[in-house]
Amino acid sequence: MELTTILFYLFAIVTISAAAVMVFSKNIVHSAFALMFTLIGVAALYVLLYADFIAATQLLVYVGGILILILFGVMLTTQGRTFSFKTSTVNLTPASILSVAAALLLIYAFVQTDWKITDSGVRDETVHELGMMLMGEYVLPFIAVGVLLLIAIIGAILMSTRLSANNDGEV
Amino acid sequence: MLTIIKQGWSTFKSIFTGMGVTIRHFFGPSVTLQYPDERYELPENSRAKLYVNIDDCIGCNLCARACPVNCIDIETVPATADVDLGKTSTGNPKRFWLTRFDIDMAKCMYCDLCVHPCPTDCIYMVPEYEYSEFDRTNLIYHFSNLEPEKIAEVKEKAEIEAAEKKKKREEMQKAKAEAARKKKEMEAKKEENEKSGDDDNAPSKPESDGGE
Amino acid sequence: MNSLFLTNILNLPLLVHLALPLTIILVYALVAIWGERKVAGFIQDRLGPMRVGGWHGWAQSIADLLKLIQKEDIVPTNASRFLFKFAPFMMFAASYAAFAVIPFSSGYIGSNINIGVFYLLAVTSVLTLSIIMAAWASNNKWSLLGGMRSAAQMVSYEVPTIATVLTVIVVAGSLNLMTVTEMQSGNDILGFLPNWFIFQNPFLIVAFVIFFISILAESHRVPFDLPESESELVAGYQTEYSGMRWAMFMLAEYADMLLLSLLGAVLFFGGWNSPFGDFMGGPVWGFFWFMLKGLLLVFVMMWIRWTLPRYRVDQLMHICWSVLIPLSFINLVLVALWELIF
Repeated sequence: MELTTILFYLFAIVTISAAAVMVFSKNIVHSAFALMFTLIGVAALYVLLYADFIAATQLLVYVGGILILILFGVMLTTQGRTFSFKTSTVNLTPASILSVAAALLLIYAFVQTDWKITDSGVRDETVHELGMMLMGEYVLPFIAVGVLLLIAIIGAILMSTRLSANNDGEV
Repeated sequence: MLTIIKQGWSTFKSIFTGMGVTIRHFFGPSVTLQYPDERYELPENSRAKLYVNIDDCIGCNLCARACPVNCIDIETVPATADVDLGKTSTGNPKRFWLTRFDIDMAKCMYCDLCVHPCPTDCIYMVPEYEYSEFDRTNLIYHFSNLEPEKIAEVKEKAEIEAAEKKKKREEMQKAKAEAARKKKEMEAKKEENEKSGDDDNAPSKPESDGGE
Repeated sequence: MNSLFLTNILNLPLLVHLALPLTIILVYALVAIWGERKVAGFIQDRLGPMRVGGWHGWAQSIADLLKLIQKEDIVPTNASRFLFKFAPFMMFAASYAAFAVIPFSSGYIGSNINIGVFYLLAVTSVLTLSIIMAAWASNNKWSLLGGMRSAAQMVSYEVPTIATVLTVIVVAGSLNLMTVTEMQSGNDILGFLPNWFIFQNPFLIVAFVIFFISILAESHRVPFDLPESESELVAGYQTEYSGMRWAMFMLAEYADMLLLSLLGAVLFFGGWNSPFGDFMGGPVWGFFWFMLKGLLLVFVMMWIRWTLPRYRVDQLMHICWSVLIPLSFINLVLVALWELIF
């Protein structure tokens, strides 16, 4: 077996088992750390798909950013809930129907799609092409996303400052 | 905006000033003494440890009385008439056997007060500071150079002499008392004969003494 | 990335690839811990360790390491066992993995990938998570406080770091650290100055200052050592650790320090390029110059440590969000304009 194949299966196992731990763990912080392993595993799978830039972005944004925010959120909110929160299932019937339907849909799509398996060849460079595409073909969506994020940031700042300004006014 | 630039400038200036100070010290000489390998020469009269030159001690007990923490313990036995203990190097005659001269350095607070009263300058501080012990009883220094047998002998002799002296003194006192009584009797007889009125003044005298 | 990784393995045995940076890190950590104590000593007019090994106590770190190996590995009763045991290794793995893209000399780089700097920044962001992991798993309030502080600090200071790195990337036009270094060879500026980026563009000096402040904060050095401020948090996230696991943290921290210093050397000071042009050039001398530049930056970090007092948490955040980040973005635009005009 090739080294790449071994690595693929290794990281696939890591990803899936960490995801399982994340779902079934009774401790929310343990779930968050399991999510970290899932995200790192996915990043490794991106690498195996010659998507090095996406892999690094995955690490930087999801592991280094969003997951830390999640942990922050968990730790800064009530401590009582972090330990062994309830994981009993509610709404058993509709949930199972929905998930079975979703699974069937996915399997159907997977079977029916005419997958194009092409040998993409050895790729060294994705950054250059990616940059060209972002600044050329997809410049409008790129800028739209940027503006959207800017609005979100300004909104967050506005909300937090107005809150504190109101508090100051009352005092 | 201008104030921000000014503040930023002063921040960087102070940081670099501080770093200049530290780098000067970095290249400057160190003040560390590599202790067990090299030691400070302490000044001659530094107070580090008490020492008694027992040959010069006349057993006057002045140092023990001067000590504010009672760390000096002296026991003396008067020399009997048949021995001559000689003189100290300062010329004072020695009249006591020093059966015990203990200094507890664990108690000592290095005040130097015991040094100055000494008439023969035999107790003084020495610049030796490495005398740590695992057991604090080891910090009691015994300066007396007499062996236990000698101490016992000396004590016995002194006791015998003291007893003899006591006897003599008692006899002398008895003789004196006898003489005094005879004298008093004679005087009483005289007073009875004279019969004067001194009774009023006599009891008032001790009262005024007590008041003062 | 993948393919180049594989071709690189063909050139050099895998073991050498794994062992070379590790050896460098381990030797450096021993020297740096001793050196830090020496620097501290000299700055405070002391001598530092003097007794172990003869000349200026050079074997002090080795003795400390032997002591740490012998120590008991204590796991607190209420700690989260797996995470507690895993965190130090993850932290070291993260800083060690980042060394893969550092060009140690013109002849050696772990993996010559095209997204070098980006990969480095991505991998080091895992450090934050391992610190939170250690902090939370210890089940100790000091640990948790230290971990939270470190997370807030590292997430914040990642922004100016990336912005300043981006400034250099704008000038260099490549994310590959080997290419970035190669672009800085030669002595053309004013006839004698080496072509290092810090001399190429006046705004890059500002960028370097911001970068240096940010890496001080990212590697938890004084004056930004709030996560482990010993006077208030005992030892921050390391409080409950002992023996080899603690040594792992120490190693990871020193490795992180070296990594960021070496990154600074690559980005601003020409990496393995000799300051004298071709004189004393070549792969071996290249390694020497590179390590010299990196260690010089490490020395400046130590020097600052024994000069400045610690910042408060709010001051730390203020410096980052309202000074460094705007400044670094303005600087990025200015550098881009400069590159456009000249």
